[in-house]
Amino acid sequence: MEKYNPKLVCFSCKFGWGYLTEEPALASKINSWIPVVCSGKIDTSHILKAFRAGADGVLILGCSEGHCHYQDGNVQTKKKVFLLQKVLETFGIEPQRVEIRFSLDPEGKSMPHLLNKMKENLIKLGPVKRL
Amino acid sequence: MANKPKVAIYWLGACAGCDEAIVDLNEAILQVVETVEIVLWPLAMDFKYDRIEAMGDEEITLSILTGSVRNSDHEEMARLLRKKSKLVLAFGACACFGGTAGLANFKTREDIFNWVYRDAPTVVNPETKFPQTETRINGKILTLPEFYDHVYTLNQIIDVDFYLPGCPPPPDLIANAVNAVVSGDLPPKGSTLAPRSALCDTCSRNKKKPSRMEIRQIKRIHEVEADPDSCFLAQGIICLGPATRSGCGETCIKTNIPCRGCFGPPPGVVGAGPKYLSALTSLIKAETDEDIREIIDSIDDPAGYFYRFTEPTSILGRKMPGKQMEE
Ligand code: SF4
Ligand code: SF4
Repeated sequence: MEKYNPKLVCFSCKFGWGYLTEEPALASKINSWIPVVCSGKIDTSHILKAFRAGADGVLILGCSEGHCHYQDGNVQTKKKVFLLQKVLETFGIEPQRVEIRFSLDPEGKSMPHLLNKMKENLIKLGPVKRL
Repeated sequence: MANKPKVAIYWLGACAGCDEAIVDLNEAILQVVETVEIVLWPLAMDFKYDRIEAMGDEEITLSILTGSVRNSDHEEMARLLRKKSKLVLAFGACACFGGTAGLANFKTREDIFNWVYRDAPTVVNPETKFPQTETRINGKILTLPEFYDHVYTLNQIIDVDFYLPGCPPPPDLIANAVNAVVSGDLPPKGSTLAPRSALCDTCSRNKKKPSRMEIRQIKRIHEVEADPDSCFLAQGIICLGPATRSGCGETCIKTNIPCRGCFGPPPGVVGAGPKYLSALTSLIKAETDEDIREIIDSIDDPAGYFYRFTEPTSILGRKMPGKQMEE
């Protein structure tokens, strides 16, 4: 049997993550990476669509609290994610499949590592059961 | 009689509330009966299905179909009436978006059967018998419709010409819809026969909405004495008004009950559930992660709130992508 390799979608804020590294160089290390201007731009429907399209997990990387370029876009997204996790559970999608992290990493060096860590957790969960 | 337009009214996975709403047209129904010939209406009259089968294609001018599609019998009747009708109206929240019955999609067919026929405390079923589509008794075969593993909206099964939402739809919009068909003055195919604005735009409580709303605590309507004039959301009570189409007549709002969303989303809104979720969380005011979680955890069954009438059309809930009406 082929080894289960979870599909992860990563949204990250361009103001806090990886902006000092050329996008294609970073993208080659991160599959399904979607840099956005402010994590506050991430709509709940984007996350749902990722799951509908077959994602096993969604990782959201926003700026540290107090560092949002648009005041509090990151906190707004955090609130959305907390509630969305409860809604997803009812659809049979475990809350751990959406992760939100706040930090600053202009070179994006930690990004592949964060993705791998989340992947490890998803391997323990296995594929999404319902859908 | 021969020249009167033929109308069929039929219930699929419905509760008969929609039929009742048609009966509630009162005197107006008599006018309707004058102008059309009702060829099928199980709630009110006795008809034989083979009479419908014997009709020519598109012989029926309008079929008003209520309810969702949950079993093979619903599907068969929906297909038969589609074939025999020029126009099909999806009538009520269940036919349009799945309705409350659509919440069953949060469970599998197996979960549902186990609960209903085995585990519920009121069930006595010592041999754990589950319904079968075919049972042999004394050499005869008894059949039952097949219970699908999913609740479908009408347009996930057949082509639908018009939609009339509501649980059930209000009398003025029903009368308008029937008159539009009888007079031939019809909007473009696919239209929803209801206003285009969101409920908040027409709600009288909107005037009392503070310019900056902040929710620090979520309250449920039965736990508080809600102010009869102020916006529910401003009082921390979940109201689906911002994500719901207007036209219902606001019976709930007028009786001091928040909107539950039975009219579905306003036109052009894709993913009303997640949109509402984002809007609601943006109003939540809390400092620490713990405080945010506490407020969010106090929302009982958020999925049930946000998808109460629309689960089968939702991004994650729908099963036949690409065919649904706008979410
Ligand atoms: S829309 Fe409401 S009234 Fe109509 S069948 Fe469904 S539950 Fe009953
Ligand atoms: S949220 Fe509800 S109460 Fe407030 S204006 Fe909208 S419909 Fe009216």
